[in-house]
Amino acid sequence: MEDHKGFWHSKLREASERNSSSKDESLEKWRKNTLEPWEEKTGYKPREFINSSGIEIKDVYTKSDLPEDQEKFLGLPGEYPFTRGVYPNMYRGKEWTMRMFSGFGTPEDTNARLKYLISHGETGLSIAFDMPTLYAYDCDNKRADGEIGKCGVNVSSLKDMEVIFDGIDLSKVTTSMTINAPAAVLTAMYFSIARKQGLSLDKIGGTVQADILKEYIAQKEWIYPPEAHIRIIRDMMIYCTENVPRWNYISISGYHIREAGSSAVQELAFTLADGFYYVEMGKKAGLDVDQFAPRLSFFFNSSINFFEEIAKMRAARRIWATALKEKYGAKSKRAMMLRFHTQTSGYTLTWQQPHINIVRTAFEGLAAVLGGTQSLHTNSYDEAMALPSEEAVKVALRTQQIIAEETGVTDTVDPLAGSYYVEWLTNRIEEEAYRYFDKIESMGGILEAVKSGYIQREIATTSYRRQKRIEEGKEVMVGANKYVESEEKPINILRIPGEAQERQIKRLNEVKATRDGKRVAETLERLRKAMEDPDKNIMPFLIDAVESYATLEEISNVGREVYGGWKEPIII
Amino acid sequence: MAAGKNQSSSKQRPPKILLAKPGIDGHDRGVLVLARAFRDAGMEVLYAGLLPTPEEVIDTAVNEDVDVIAMSLLNGAHLTVFKRVADLMKERGIDDIALVGGGTIPEEDKPALEALGITGNYGPGTPLSTIIEHVRKRAAEAREKKMGQD
Amino acid sequence: MSGKELPKQEKRRWGRIETNIADLVSGVKENKFSSIARAISMVEDEDPLLRKDILRKIGTSATKAHVIGITGPPGIGKSTLIGNLSSGMMARGITNGVLAIDASSPFTGGSLLGNRIRMQDKLRESHVFMRSLANRGEKGGLSRSAIGAVRILESAGNQEIIIETVGAGQADLDIMNLADTIVLVLAPGLGDEIQAIKAGIMEISHIFVINKMDREGAYFAMKDIEDIVSMDDHSGWKRPVVGTTSNDNDSYNGLIDAILSHRKYLEMSNSLSVKRRYMELETALEDEINETITSKLKKKLLEEYVSGKGMGHDRLDDDPFSIAEDLLKNFLEYSIE
Repeated sequence: MEDHKGFWHSKLREASERNSSSKDESLEKWRKNTLEPWEEKTGYKPREFINSSGIEIKDVYTKSDLPEDQEKFLGLPGEYPFTRGVYPNMYRGKEWTMRMFSGFGTPEDTNARLKYLISHGETGLSIAFDMPTLYAYDCDNKRADGEIGKCGVNVSSLKDMEVIFDGIDLSKVTTSMTINAPAAVLTAMYFSIARKQGLSLDKIGGTVQADILKEYIAQKEWIYPPEAHIRIIRDMMIYCTENVPRWNYISISGYHIREAGSSAVQELAFTLADGFYYVEMGKKAGLDVDQFAPRLSFFFNSSINFFEEIAKMRAARRIWATALKEKYGAKSKRAMMLRFHTQTSGYTLTWQQPHINIVRTAFEGLAAVLGGTQSLHTNSYDEAMALPSEEAVKVALRTQQIIAEETGVTDTVDPLAGSYYVEWLTNRIEEEAYRYFDKIESMGGILEAVKSGYIQREIATTSYRRQKRIEEGKEVMVGANKYVESEEKPINILRIPGEAQERQIKRLNEVKATRDGKRVAETLERLRKAMEDPDKNIMPFLIDAVESYATLEEISNVGREVYGGWKEPIII
Repeated sequence: MAAGKNQSSSKQRPPKILLAKPGIDGHDRGVLVLARAFRDAGMEVLYAGLLPTPEEVIDTAVNEDVDVIAMSLLNGAHLTVFKRVADLMKERGIDDIALVGGGTIPEEDKPALEALGITGNYGPGTPLSTIIEHVRKRAAEAREKKMGQD
Repeated sequence: MSGKELPKQEKRRWGRIETNIADLVSGVKENKFSSIARAISMVEDEDPLLRKDILRKIGTSATKAHVIGITGPPGIGKSTLIGNLSSGMMARGITNGVLAIDASSPFTGGSLLGNRIRMQDKLRESHVFMRSLANRGEKGGLSRSAIGAVRILESAGNQEIIIETVGAGQADLDIMNLADTIVLVLAPGLGDEIQAIKAGIMEISHIFVINKMDREGAYFAMKDIEDIVSMDDHSGWKRPVVGTTSNDNDSYNGLIDAILSHRKYLEMSNSLSVKRRYMELETALEDEINETITSKLKKKLLEEYVSGKGMGHDRLDDDPFSIAEDLLKNFLEYSIE
């Protein structure tokens, strides 16, 4: 990094120069002769047109809004800088993966749901965990009371994972696990299941989120101070690069940053800044950027401002490719390609008139496809209220299938390329992202910016501003602040019965009663030593501990003792 | 504002609100928005931070002598966790701090919470003005109890 | 924080002042957090009679508290530092309490009191009382609350009282007048912020802390300040510069030592609490003048008006302001002569 001091500063300067539009005389004539008389005649009242990022949208875009050498920043599909997509034929060759997030209640419930989705044509598994699991508390911890299985499946020990994947051949599926702080432990469990199924680790594939920076930024699920988590992720990165070729160990996630209330530009900028940090981390750990960068994947939100989302995704690919090539010295195309999963926005859904959420999700899903996503989760219409019901999940999946197989938007690659507006917006969003990179660079990097609370404050400010705009009716949410219906009928929602907790505790007690306590103590002690020694790789020790049926909390408590906990900076 | 001092001999401080997420739940977009909204509505706002236990929340509320504890949970554990806060308050004989709830709370859970004295129980999408008005009312009631004879 | 000590069904209300103020005061003296909290609320409500009543009954205390003002630019880690400082003192058997000041919006009167988060766990563990006070931007308002709160914490038996301020503005300087020892917290890599601070608070600080000593540039930051204080003439007190690191508990011992040695220095020169007593007297006088003289004088002047004494004629048709002006002018001239 030292040799690139001010890299983003110069990128920003270049971009703003490029984006200052040239004078278009025919447009000025049009404004005077055609637009103004029309506005006068129709009594047009000027109002504000801005997107979530506060970028002002003009009435019409022309060639003059694009730089002379615009083509250079587009390239062709499958070619640098990948603005038009990472694969040459995109969805003509292969549809995106329709990946529906699931997991709730007990491992048995989740196992049944996974099998149901596989039988309905789902092409990849995705698992959500409950809050205690995400914070590495076992189901019998007093703090976890009432939370077991509420927001996802509960995993307290390897036993629970064995149940979740019972009867599912791990060589035939890929699994994405939405877990961060305890990601290394869950990864160890997954590897262990594969071994039990007789599979070698090169036969399995999947993703863990493990994007700890965005936890401090947005999702706020951590166990230790940032440096400790970063070290653990580094170990996982090294271990998997060497042993598990199809394991994507970090899914750099903007989704939660957006759900926390950020704008599209903030989502893009903070997510990529996190991504750059992981690249630097890998390089510092001595890994070859061409080897590990292809394992980094992204996870974006697709929200309701249609073109802004598309432009964001196109800009993301271009920025990533540019940085990997110019700043981090990547040589291989795969290392420069930004591949991403998308989930439609939960924030835009309303509990009022829940069925209209299907329409919102369809538009958001369409934007993701036009933005060139590699996989997609479409939200269920009841998601604003609770975990989705089976029926709602099916509608959401069908929505994707309609986009893929009926609308014809997949017939050609990047159909919006060359649209003056879309290209202009892509350029502008790129520039705004550079503005943040420059600021973050000047603060000493993303970790410092996060630890000081700067990033969190930026998001909170945007979030409050948007809320006030909604309040004032400047931003419309149909059903919530406009076209409101006086009487709302509650919808049928999924409730997690209290037995989930009892059943989990019962299983945990059985595990504790039947495991070899001496072995548990030994594996944990070895793990402690490894954690205390930053030159050791903790992954093998984690796998040993998991296989001795040490629980998630027991394993994490070793870390809590070694590294301590973390309190967020003051951002209110 | 300054002029009021000599005219009224008992000018009170503004309503004091403690925002809290007393459970394992990192969804803080809502409370962060509310913190600013309450401030802009002229209240003194404290935030208990992430992952406090119900005991910690109550200790903070007592030391800061707040009028309202505004609790938010989006993890579905409101029936257990909000109840624990209410029970602990009762156990300690605290009756002059009001409890207000919010988050993903299904309609059918509301009566149970109301019965514990936890009011509001607003879901996502509730206008800020509705929440502010309710909190202000509850704060005034609590203040009344603090000041009043009984 | 007082969880375990609290008897069930403890009476918390203070509204029934006639009957309960004695309970409240004895609660404060027993260091009962709920009583301390309610007593501070009483002084925060701007009712001079109530404030006087409770502070009088609390009276002066046997333990004399030393007030430490902690200031410095935002984001410097003051809250974490106070958490460690306070618990470090408790570990040495030095009882203490913490007050944190936040600014209110001048427009709405609302405020975000955010200082707790990063210290509350440590304080709770060490059983330290902490209270946030809003600076409501009214002249003298905050100092009144703070003076009262300090008195209450002193009466609860605290040897040290730590006040955190946001590090800007007049209200901050007012609070600093209350402090016996002013600690200015800085960190490496501040640059411009240090320049801004140098102007005011630098001169009146007694101890300098370079926080985040694990950061790059810490040594130089420390050296910079040492150079400045080496040319000091601070009436015999050599201003120390100490370093702290949040994950190194031991680093706070240096700060505690520096604070205690300044306390000693003040005690030896008989100047502990001198400024605070002066401020207490100043506000007490102001209250007395407002509440007593004002009403007495008003009564007297109205009597004079009614009796016609000193006015010479009936001024029923004049505007009230000129009459009031004349009445007061007459009275002052008369009484000053």
